[in-house]
Amino acid sequence: MNGKLISRIGMLIYAAAIVAPLAWVIISSFKSGFEIFESPWALPAKPEWSNYQEAWREAGIGHNFFNSLVVTSITLAILIPCGAMAAYVFARYPFRGSRALFTTFLGGMMFPNFLVIVPLFFLLRNLALLDTLTGLIIVYVAYSLSFTIFVLSGFFQTLPASLQEAAMVDGCGHSKTFWKVMLPLARPGLLVVAIFNAIGLWNEYNLALVLLPSDKNRTLPLGIADLVMTQHYQSNWGALFAGLVIVMLPMMVVYWVFRDRIYQTMLAGALKG
Amino acid sequence: MSLYRWRGLSSNRTFVGLDNYKKLAADHLFWQCVKNNLWLLVVGGTALIALGLLLAHGMQTRGALTRFLRSIYLFPQVVSLVVVAILWMFLYNPTHGLVPDLIRRIGIQPPAEGFLGSSTLALPSVCAAFVWYALGFYVMLFSAGIHQIPIEVSEAAELDGATGPRRFFGITWPLLWAVRRVACVYVVINVMNVFALVYLMTRGGPDRHTDTMLTYLYEQAFVDRQFGYAASLAVVNLVIALLLSAVVMVLLRRNPTAART
Repeated sequence: MNGKLISRIGMLIYAAAIVAPLAWVIISSFKSGFEIFESPWALPAKPEWSNYQEAWREAGIGHNFFNSLVVTSITLAILIPCGAMAAYVFARYPFRGSRALFTTFLGGMMFPNFLVIVPLFFLLRNLALLDTLTGLIIVYVAYSLSFTIFVLSGFFQTLPASLQEAAMVDGCGHSKTFWKVMLPLARPGLLVVAIFNAIGLWNEYNLALVLLPSDKNRTLPLGIADLVMTQHYQSNWGALFAGLVIVMLPMMVVYWVFRDRIYQTMLAGALKG
Repeated sequence: MSLYRWRGLSSNRTFVGLDNYKKLAADHLFWQCVKNNLWLLVVGGTALIALGLLLAHGMQTRGALTRFLRSIYLFPQVVSLVVVAILWMFLYNPTHGLVPDLIRRIGIQPPAEGFLGSSTLALPSVCAAFVWYALGFYVMLFSAGIHQIPIEVSEAAELDGATGPRRFFGITWPLLWAVRRVACVYVVINVMNVFALVYLMTRGGPDRHTDTMLTYLYEQAFVDRQFGYAASLAVVNLVIALLLSAVVMVLLRRNPTAART
């Protein structure tokens, strides 16, 4: 009985430790700068929606939001078809050296990308892709490919081989079988991988920090980090908190909607890697 | 690249062999970073594994609280590290942050220079933010491990009256050795690659008390433009991470349940 009580208290503390800081950000985003400063624990007297307006327009978060949206969606549009095709071949057409190649891809999943940041910086500079969204997208595709192939090939393996054979008997070629039969069947897997990658790409900071040195192409995490540095002098903190909410809320909602499937994908990735 | 001295202008690249590594070995700032990384590894890693295991164990019961906790505990993982860093900077803010305020209410005087400005408290404070961010992942890992414990074992334990702490140390702890090993490797990889959190919260300060290998790498490459030197830092970081992972794998190789079965 005693043990049960302790475990309940422990879990209550854990829940509070997760919720309280996040709720604090959301509540503070509706406060005036003065209220944040004077009464950090209190609720806002009246919600200051203008914080959001200010963050979006004057602080340039809207512009960063758009950049992030472009980068994330184009990356996914390239990544998912390429990843699906590669994963399908790995899952269904074993060839000489395919296991070794697959293991190499898995190694890429574990490799910390920041360690190649110096060579990567020069590679992009020599290609004149430094400081462009195109360059960042190419790097993002390459860096997300390992995980995508890993999850999708696991998914293709679970699809019954008899369907593939049936399609071939009915006169589909290899590519038609893939595009018309196997790919639509894999739709749930594609969705999970897309969401999972979207969360990671939306939040990505390290690579973007180095590969986008100037202001104009900044993605959302860079924009908000920059805002903290400048806002220190302007002390318009309500807008800053509003900016934080704009960064974190979309991914929290996405996670909330798809949490069971994301959980399973995360787990599969964690235990295999 | 780590074998060159190069400031980013291709004409001026000279081959210097292992000079960068010699310089690294004599660089006391680098060793300070290694020390900070190891501190984070030992303290943060212990906290992550211990709390992760305990919470995963506690979350096996049914009830409204556990159901709620299960749906929210990965939130810190889906929030950008940038948000985590800024959030904690505000929580620690000396004039109106929640943490100093809480501590003042308990009756302890918080450091005047702020948690992140104090040379002794800055690293533990960053570590707390890191644990807050990463904990969900380890809870998830251990929850999955507990789910894989055969139902007969759990039932037998229950029939024998093993509950709470007894069950934790008698069943959960020994049977989770494989997951624990995976978790330790993840801790090594995660801690060796701490960057955004430290870079945003403290820039390695005050006076390099929170500087880590990757923030030092960033400074060398993109502030001081010592690209060859930074590349050698990356190589050393990778070697240390691989060595530590190998040590973990060897140390935790033995299956503690094997003797009994």
